Amino acid sequence: MEILIYGIVNSVSLALMALGFTLVYGVSRLPNFAHGSLYVTTGFITWLLLQRLGVPYLVAMLISLVLIGVVGAAMYHFILVRIRGMSISEIIASYAIGLAILEGLRWGGLKGTTHTLPVFANGSVDILGVVVDYHRLLVILLGAILVGLLWVFVNRTRLGLALKGMAQDERAALTLGIDSDRMAVMSMALGGVMAGLAALVLLPLGNIVVEAGYHVLIMAVAVCIVGGLGSWTGAILAAFLIGFAQIFTVAWLGPHFQVVVALLAIILTLISRPSGLFGRQKELEERV
Amino acid sequence: MFDALGLMVFYENMLALNNVSLSCGEGQIIGVFGANSAGKSTLMYALSGLMLDIQRKEQMQGGERITIRGQINYLGQDVMGHKPASRAKAGIVLCPERRRIFPESSVLENLRIGGYLATPQQARETLDYVFHIFPPLTKLKTRLGGFLSGGEQQMLAIGRALMAQPKLLLLDEPLLGLSPAIQYWLAKSIKEIRDQRGTAIIVSEQYARPIMPIIDYGYILENGSAVVEGGRAELMDNPDVRSAYFGN
Repeated sequence: MEILIYGIVNSVSLALMALGFTLVYGVSRLPNFAHGSLYVTTGFITWLLLQRLGVPYLVAMLISLVLIGVVGAAMYHFILVRIRGMSISEIIASYAIGLAILEGLRWGGLKGTTHTLPVFANGSVDILGVVVDYHRLLVILLGAILVGLLWVFVNRTRLGLALKGMAQDERAALTLGIDSDRMAVMSMALGGVMAGLAALVLLPLGNIVVEAGYHVLIMAVAVCIVGGLGSWTGAILAAFLIGFAQIFTVAWLGPHFQVVVALLAIILTLISRPSGLFGRQKELEERV
Repeated sequence: MFDALGLMVFYENMLALNNVSLSCGEGQIIGVFGANSAGKSTLMYALSGLMLDIQRKEQMQGGERITIRGQINYLGQDVMGHKPASRAKAGIVLCPERRRIFPESSVLENLRIGGYLATPQQARETLDYVFHIFPPLTKLKTRLGGFLSGGEQQMLAIGRALMAQPKLLLLDEPLLGLSPAIQYWLAKSIKEIRDQRGTAIIVSEQYARPIMPIIDYGYILENGSAVVEGGRAELMDNPDVRSAYFGN
């Protein structure tokens, strides 16, 4: 029972971390290796507003989400647009930006364990003998809501459909009046907001530390590779796979092996099924 | 309505399009015929603006140097420097060669994505029209684009282009790889679209026989140059055209 509940919490956390990454990659084929730094930055901005400037929590969260969206968009607009289409350069450049932000934060004083955000709700509840705090339950709820909203956005709104078209065939989308640069900016902004949302939901459970940025990036990449790059259903499924595998290892082997599980999952996927669980693009391409 | 003047496109030093001028009036169907590598697709890319995008990508990757010259007057302004998306917004919509359907989206979703530029009301109206003019698509609404037959994909591609509310529809080899029966049926549908919606159409094709009867004016491309042009009757009477495209 403990494994089940904490497995779900962990899986939803992983899905939250990975969704922004997979969204950006799915739409603009842009591996955003600055994803983790956007995550930490959101937490830091919120902390700054909340603890130093005394802005109300909710307002602080909204402001930092907007800011992080702008940061994501600006990253594309000013830097990544120049190396569009060269995936190695995109990885290097976005990772460099991420490093600069993260280490910049460390240099600017984001050290130690003093930076924390308050949980949304205090207290805990006893579910069939397992003690779970309210915030972890909220993580599950908010994660589910977010995935639902994202699904509606992508499948039902004009902008979401345009992003979907752009993801599948850029040139065809261009002929339909969908501007690829605008869409890439949009997807980066949205990816930033997703990273920010994940941060706001997850960071109250721990400290805001620079290392979280690297951790989130590794987890996001692991989930996306196992699930199939750019596939959202795959990402969610992979998040549950890795999430439960991690909780099992914690229960049986010890907490040190959590990251090993994620990295092992990447390696196993690349050996046995390089396109990931839901990377069925290849199969379709052959038929067309 | 639409005049392209002295279009030239170079891939490095290779002249792919040599001083081609072409015009299309309100509600006309213009045919562009030519063999493989005559420059049909290059012409279509130049007209729709995709060439600018290809040029930019090649430039960024250090690939081929592409040079574009010429002028395109459309509804009183020169759109030569406009990006493909803004040309589409102005009403110049390309239905690309090899159809380029979104393979992982259903038929309906393909059309919805096509309706990006349309108002909700226009989108609804055009959606009905697409199913009206291409009835076979009605039964395939939920099927993924990648699993359609060539003819169905072509109908979907034209329908998707219509969803973008074109004033000028560019069809790049719409009959490529289709069976003769479907080729004639599609040619008829293309004419119907013009007749019913007044959309001007420029259609390029290798195989002239099904398309020739529906055009108002045509151009023959050879090695990047427009070597012959004329009205439908004129082209069909031209002995060179007859021997090259009609086999007699």
